[in-house]
Amino acid sequence: MSDASRRSPRRSSIAADDASAAPSTAGERLPELLRRVAQRDRRAFEQLYAATSAKLYGTVLRILKERGRADDVVQEAYVTIWQKAAQFDTGRASPIAWMVAIARHAAIDELRRQPRAPHEPEEALAHTPADEPSAREHLEHEQDAKRLHACLEALEAERRDMVRLAYLDGWSRADLATHFEQPVNTVKTWLHRALKQLKGCLAP
Amino acid sequence: MTDHDDIDMLAAEYVLGTLDAEERAEVAQRRQHDADMEARILAWEARLAPLGNEVEAIAPGPDLLERIERRIDELEATFQTKSKSEDDTHGATQVIALRRRLGFWRGCTGLATAAALILAVVMIAPFDDTPDAPPFVAVFQQDDQQPAFMLSVDLDSRRLNVRPVTAKPLPDRSYQLWIKAEALGPKPRSVGVLNDDLSLPADALSDYDSELLKRATFGISIEPPGGSPTGQPTGSAIHGYLYPTDRDAVSQHL
Repeated sequence: MSDASRRSPRRSSIAADDASAAPSTAGERLPELLRRVAQRDRRAFEQLYAATSAKLYGTVLRILKERGRADDVVQEAYVTIWQKAAQFDTGRASPIAWMVAIARHAAIDELRRQPRAPHEPEEALAHTPADEPSAREHLEHEQDAKRLHACLEALEAERRDMVRLAYLDGWSRADLATHFEQPVNTVKTWLHRALKQLKGCLAP
Repeated sequence: MTDHDDIDMLAAEYVLGTLDAEERAEVAQRRQHDADMEARILAWEARLAPLGNEVEAIAPGPDLLERIERRIDELEATFQTKSKSEDDTHGATQVIALRRRLGFWRGCTGLATAAALILAVVMIAPFDDTPDAPPFVAVFQQDDQQPAFMLSVDLDSRRLNVRPVTAKPLPDRSYQLWIKAEALGPKPRSVGVLNDDLSLPADALSDYDSELLKRATFGISIEPPGGSPTGQPTGSAIHGYLYPTDRDAVSQHL
């Protein structure tokens, strides 16, 4: 957090809504906003929402595909963020990654409770640019993103697709099994191999 | 495959999102008291998070912030009212509420159907600025709004106090308090059957050490008069997680 932004946190532009904003601007503000939210500062909460809601909503809507359900889940996620802000630990995750994780898990829980209509797999895959991370929102440092993408490229194509469809679109093992025409257990084995390969590839 | 591998893959699939609802609930519960699991989950979140860069940011509808704030207001109003009326020891009230989907208790004998209907809300009672060890509080809640019981435990003396909030004595039924902790194995153990005035002896937890109590969850079930005939909960359970009342300690438990 720079001195300037601490003095005037509202001055910073809101990256989520403004493609021209340097991502680091919001990235640097978020820990301070979360700290204030932990002290039950409602204005800070509104600023945090303004800076992050498009990212969380995009994440959740991509999994649930329906605005009504996404509204409910994102509401639940922000209530959780309000309640748990005091537990956020900068040493363990970046603020946006922590918040996205809360929203993603809520979306996947919702989807597992009530699966949506059958998938449109072609559309889901078409959604996924291979190596064109959005310029607006960087969840992680560029370098981490490059490493992960390089490691994903090293996976067999089907396994890479499985990882993407699961993480980004919320597909279950059964969804993957249907689409890839494999038994569920085979899908599980493939996922485990892919995850282990990724872990090995990403290890320092 | 080693156990470590299994745990790591469980954490990885939890983060990836491919576990089914029941497995997810179990992992979500387990991460709260299993530091190794929590660390593995965070490591996997960090590994996979850059995938999220691909997600297109989409602005939610203009009303959503207002909805969220209204929901927060509702939750806080509920708890503050309750704390003012029910808590007789402290002034300033600080509340953290947590809706928690059932998972940990679902595996228990006899609870599979009944307990699946119930959400627990765990609440923090008043903050206390004195340097004394804070009491731990669990709230047993039967739905989103109405707390049924409040349990507070003084960890130093291991004395407990159960108070009904909205719960009333039931004709021909008893309430029974249960404890569940990793160190005690997979099944809940009975702490005791509540008296007719819905109290319990203050020393009912004196057999358990404070570390265990800190990590335990508690359930209250509705049983035949005199308590469960099987030694395990047989009726619907309402449950809560023992929760410290100072903010620093909170972060260790969620």
